[in-house]
Amino acid sequence: MAKSYIRFWGVRGSYSAPFKRCLDTGGNTPCVEINVDGHLLICDAGSGIIPLGHQLIAEDKNRELLILLTHFHWDHISGLPFFAPAFHPKYNINFFGPGESKEIVKKYIDDQMKAPYFPVGTEEWVANISYIDTKKKSITYGPMEISYYSAYHPGITYGYKINVKNKCIVYIPDNECLSLDKEIRENSEGFNNEEIDILEEMNREEYKAEVNTIADADILIHDAQYTPEDYKMKKGWGHSCYTDVINMAIDAKVKKLFLFSHDPSNDDEMILKIHEGAKKIIKDRNSSLECFVSKESLEVSLD
Amino acid sequence: MSTHKRTAVLIDDNESSHKFFLRSVENLSIDLKAYRSADTAMKFLNDNKPSLLFLNIILPDKNGLAFLSELRKLPLHAKTPVIILTSNDYSQDRTVASELGVLDFIVKPMSMRTINSIMLDYIK
Repeated sequence: MAKSYIRFWGVRGSYSAPFKRCLDTGGNTPCVEINVDGHLLICDAGSGIIPLGHQLIAEDKNRELLILLTHFHWDHISGLPFFAPAFHPKYNINFFGPGESKEIVKKYIDDQMKAPYFPVGTEEWVANISYIDTKKKSITYGPMEISYYSAYHPGITYGYKINVKNKCIVYIPDNECLSLDKEIRENSEGFNNEEIDILEEMNREEYKAEVNTIADADILIHDAQYTPEDYKMKKGWGHSCYTDVINMAIDAKVKKLFLFSHDPSNDDEMILKIHEGAKKIIKDRNSSLECFVSKESLEVSLD
Repeated sequence: MSTHKRTAVLIDDNESSHKFFLRSVENLSIDLKAYRSADTAMKFLNDNKPSLLFLNIILPDKNGLAFLSELRKLPLHAKTPVIILTSNDYSQDRTVASELGVLDFIVKPMSMRTINSIMLDYIK
């Protein structure tokens, strides 16, 4: 039986970082391969899907694949025009993503491959391409049960929960967590006591709901783009501060957290500092959470 | 003078938000119907057009903007007055909401007086 694993092909958020000082972490935008007993699931189609495509062609093992798109911002779809299997007739490629209908998902994918933005359209794709009904609440793909939920990010953005091999994997690359908490802290001046009491209750309830989305995940791959200093300037950009993510993951009793969607302006040294900061929070809170930095080529066994 | 109560609908999974809205409108002659999911609200909205609909973007079963897009396709709700609620003031969300014909885009937290005023402004 084929081995089962998660492999990171693109870990940068927003835009690629093909700079020498960033390459230990990797420069490609989001793409994560989840391969279970030969069933290939691809989370997002950022520039990381390009080398994955070349490997698929070279190895010629998987001809059926499902691509889950969290949303249609460029960094999550920009690899598709160069995804070699789409231009090969022996591949069956299924897409699922947010949208009112599968026709809308197709339109969003088609639209980035049109003149004058790109010389080749999706009509040149000769693989067997299918779009899954977007009204499905869950998808069964081989041994994988996939569900989704709305993330805090501009536009309609999903986080995906994949249950497989008695493990729960949560992939949520773009998510600004704890935003209500921050709004309440910053904008509650002038409210009366009753309002403040209910708002605090609202905040606790909201936090509980956010924690529930990742509760007991065996593997959480989460947006951790900003440092607290970055976040002061970039609040409302749709990404999380890593300290919030660590604390939320601890509260949610997550087992393994992979910091993801690294800021492209953060070099390897800076990402190492973020990781050290994360480990300090975990130690200070006496938590058993294991925290890792998502890096290109990193492989995590699911066996 | 008519004593008929106008209906406002709130769709927000946060129960404390329901409490906040109910307190905000208790001195008004408004029947506030509060729902925690898009699906449960839809059961009411299939046959009823409220005077005003407050819609949170993040819902447990569906994104609020996706829900509104579907709602707008129903002839009954093509012009139902809608106000978006959110804890994130994203420009892209404002654009989508505007394209879907919403009246206003309210960022949480808001005061009870704000909700009360909106009700008075929009429910004549």
